[in-house]
Amino acid sequence: MNFRRKLLTLLVFALAVSLAGVTAAQGQAVKNQDTFIYAAFGEAETMDPHYAYDDASHQVTLWHVYETLVFFNGSSTGQFVPMLSTTVPSVQNGGLSRDGKTYTFRIRSGVKFHDGTAMTAEDVKYSLLRFMFMDRDGGPSWIFLQPILGVDVTRDDKGTLNTALFTEADRAIRVQGDTVTITLKSPFAPFMGIVAQWSSVVSKKWAIAQGDWNGTAATLRRLNNPTKPDDTPFFSKGNGTGPFRLVEWDRGTRQTILERNTGYWRAPAKLRRVIIRGVDDFGARRLMLQQGDADAISVNRNELPQVEGLPGVRIVDDLSTLSNVGVFMTLKIDTTGGNPDVGSGRLDGNGIPGDFFADVNVRRGIAQALDYNTMLRDCYRNKGFVGRGPIPRGMLGHNTNQRWYEFNRERATAAFREARGGQIWNTGFKFTILHNAGNTVRECVARVLKSGIESLNPKFQVDVRSITWATYLAQYRQSKLPLFIIGWGADYPDAENFVAAYQHSKGTYSGAQGYNNPEADKLIEQVRNETDPAKRRAMFYKLGEIAYNDVITINIDAVGLRVMRSWVRGWYHNPAFLHQYNFYPMSKQ
Amino acid sequence: MTTYIARRLVLLPLVAFGVTILIFALLQFLAPEMRASVFITNPNQLSAIDAIIRKYGLDQPVYVQYWTWLREVFSGNLGWSQTARMSVSDAIGAFFPATLELTMYAFIPIMIIGVWLGTSAAVHRDELIDHVSRVFSISFRSLPSFVWGLLILMVLYGRLNWFPPGRLSLEADLFVRSGEFHRYTNVMTLDALLNGQGWIFLDALRHLAGPVLTLTIVSIALLVRITRSAMLEVLRQDYVRTARAKGLDEPVVINRHARKNALIPVITLGSLTFVGLVGGVVITETIFNFPGIGRWGAFAAQQLDIPGVTGFAMFTAILTVAGNLMADILYAYFDPRIRLQ
Repeated sequence: MNFRRKLLTLLVFALAVSLAGVTAAQGQAVKNQDTFIYAAFGEAETMDPHYAYDDASHQVTLWHVYETLVFFNGSSTGQFVPMLSTTVPSVQNGGLSRDGKTYTFRIRSGVKFHDGTAMTAEDVKYSLLRFMFMDRDGGPSWIFLQPILGVDVTRDDKGTLNTALFTEADRAIRVQGDTVTITLKSPFAPFMGIVAQWSSVVSKKWAIAQGDWNGTAATLRRLNNPTKPDDTPFFSKGNGTGPFRLVEWDRGTRQTILERNTGYWRAPAKLRRVIIRGVDDFGARRLMLQQGDADAISVNRNELPQVEGLPGVRIVDDLSTLSNVGVFMTLKIDTTGGNPDVGSGRLDGNGIPGDFFADVNVRRGIAQALDYNTMLRDCYRNKGFVGRGPIPRGMLGHNTNQRWYEFNRERATAAFREARGGQIWNTGFKFTILHNAGNTVRECVARVLKSGIESLNPKFQVDVRSITWATYLAQYRQSKLPLFIIGWGADYPDAENFVAAYQHSKGTYSGAQGYNNPEADKLIEQVRNETDPAKRRAMFYKLGEIAYNDVITINIDAVGLRVMRSWVRGWYHNPAFLHQYNFYPMSKQ
Repeated sequence: MTTYIARRLVLLPLVAFGVTILIFALLQFLAPEMRASVFITNPNQLSAIDAIIRKYGLDQPVYVQYWTWLREVFSGNLGWSQTARMSVSDAIGAFFPATLELTMYAFIPIMIIGVWLGTSAAVHRDELIDHVSRVFSISFRSLPSFVWGLLILMVLYGRLNWFPPGRLSLEADLFVRSGEFHRYTNVMTLDALLNGQGWIFLDALRHLAGPVLTLTIVSIALLVRITRSAMLEVLRQDYVRTARAKGLDEPVVINRHARKNALIPVITLGSLTFVGLVGGVVITETIFNFPGIGRWGAFAAQQLDIPGVTGFAMFTAILTVAGNLMADILYAYFDPRIRLQ
């Protein structure tokens, strides 16, 4: 055997041995003991906690670099523990006035920012005002603006800043010694949840030294509505009180590096370092997890089968979430200027008119034409629930006994026969169900619904079309979407955020659907100001019944999942964490 | 030649701006709400669509938007890329070195192996090496780059843990970020050598191996076939027969007389390959999580990040013109019959 053949044989043998599965990864010891690496799809938009309105940014900053006045108690979204405040204001401890409008937070002493300077009540006030008056278009400022000032935006229709609002806010948020008092316009039950999630405290002194707003009305215009994310010094730099300090946000390699804050006011974090990497390709993320180069990765439901059975990997499923999906029917569709998704735009068997879904019998027909069991089995792999209205399971206000429609061909047929005095049944129709491109779960839901509707009457024709997010925005603004499937994630852990979006005449979804039910509007406005949980529950239950009767939307409550290496310790779930990990209590063993 | 080169260089900015006019013209087909999608990324922001459109002038006539952008460019500002989370010029500076590094390490083996294999296949026509090269060419070309990339990632990283994705290992990455390492060029292998850190050089090479192998496999097939065809054509020529008749050694006939004359189509393909690599290879960069300019450009286009797309298009237009100019110069060098007019 000559040399070349021997070499070739040796190479093939070596490759065969390697491919036989003798890899270093499986059953391996903990890799990078003191560093936690999270590989996720997407990337943060900013490190500024008052600019950010996306999960990826919050994953880095919220409760890691910056902290809030109170925090969630364990896995609860309705109970709180002190954080930068030493108490959770309540009527019992005198921290909340009896009229439910004034909250007093006693600010913790001995807490230092990452630059070593002490946090004071002035920093808290500055942070709240900064959050409110940054007020960028499409930002989260309304979350505090609404309860404190009763407005959603600080500018008029022409874009001019209303500086009188600052004077009002300055009076509403007062500092006295080590306490901060916040007086709301009206009692607002979700307020503590908002504080737990959105009251990130930054250093006023440091901010001003970096050229940021100086805290006065005179320079407010510079702060208000920045044009670009990097118009604020907090964009890529951080100085908070959190258990981790921001070392670097490298947008070139799409990595964010956090390091343990050794001067933290509580016990230091167990992890020395946290690295969050943007890895868009699921194949690469999966392999990184398998090899131990990532300790946790983001996984969509349809990607789950590819990580099941991986040695050394832990999957936590059936997690409650503060999000759901809706199948929305638009009551006033714009058919002018051509709308391919409504066919001819007339009830002639080849299309639908703009008010097609305005008939409640049509909506009830649709709701009873959806095979819910097949949908949950095939689309959600039985990891989902039929919604009982817009409030997700587990939230105060969700009524597990609320009646909802079931898949029933006879009733669906009866509803369609009833619609428009039988005209719809006799003439037939054609329209398109739309969902966002790339979301195979929602595509599946659309197809199950299509199948159900078409099975009732051969004259019923339904198409399914995926659209990009950009197209969705255009169609949404022009009210051209006949029936679309999209989701909602809570801004704060209160059912009010859901009913407002789904049922108020000015809600994000219901407003676009052209829905207007004065009773629903009134209940939603009442439930905002009502602080008694029992009364709120009763109001939410009524809204649930309205949701059933009016059935403008069919809701699906999905469950969340997390995928991590089994050497990860200290992880726990809270629905308010949305898609985030809370790194402070975590370690690797 | 100097006049020729100067003339071509003058064309560079004209081509670049021509590309931007084309992009802005295409904007006509996009509704303002669609262009707002790069700023409104989740349903919770839907109520701000009107405000966003007003804020960024997205409903302005396209010539107004173009003039606003042009004014910024003349003051040195290519705009903000929402997808890169930085200015367009910073994004090019951040992502291009990675792609350049990938190109350097992929282009050389593609050319060397491609030309060598193509030449050998032609010289030993219908022998074993010719058949083997043909089988490899067809096999390599049959599968798209993402299949090769995934296969290489799954086997060489997933199974063997040889070539991980990304640019550096954790340890190397942390060292590079420490104050002890100076980034001169952001080309990691080069910077490692300049810093005298051989282990980082090897680490960077290890991370380059996967994408380089993918690109080599995918690009080499066509080069082998073109080189083989060109060589066969040249080997049939009278002057080659004469050279052999004069008693010259076969390697001298092939290397000095034949190969040089077969290089014109190879140069064409090589320059196109180079421009294609240096403009960014989206799929390979995405699969291996390699932070190059191609991945960013594709993502910017997908997200309708207009400043990002415009900046990326201008940059690749400049690279394309420069690449073609290099090819023209090489033609003149290898073939004296060609004079640059």
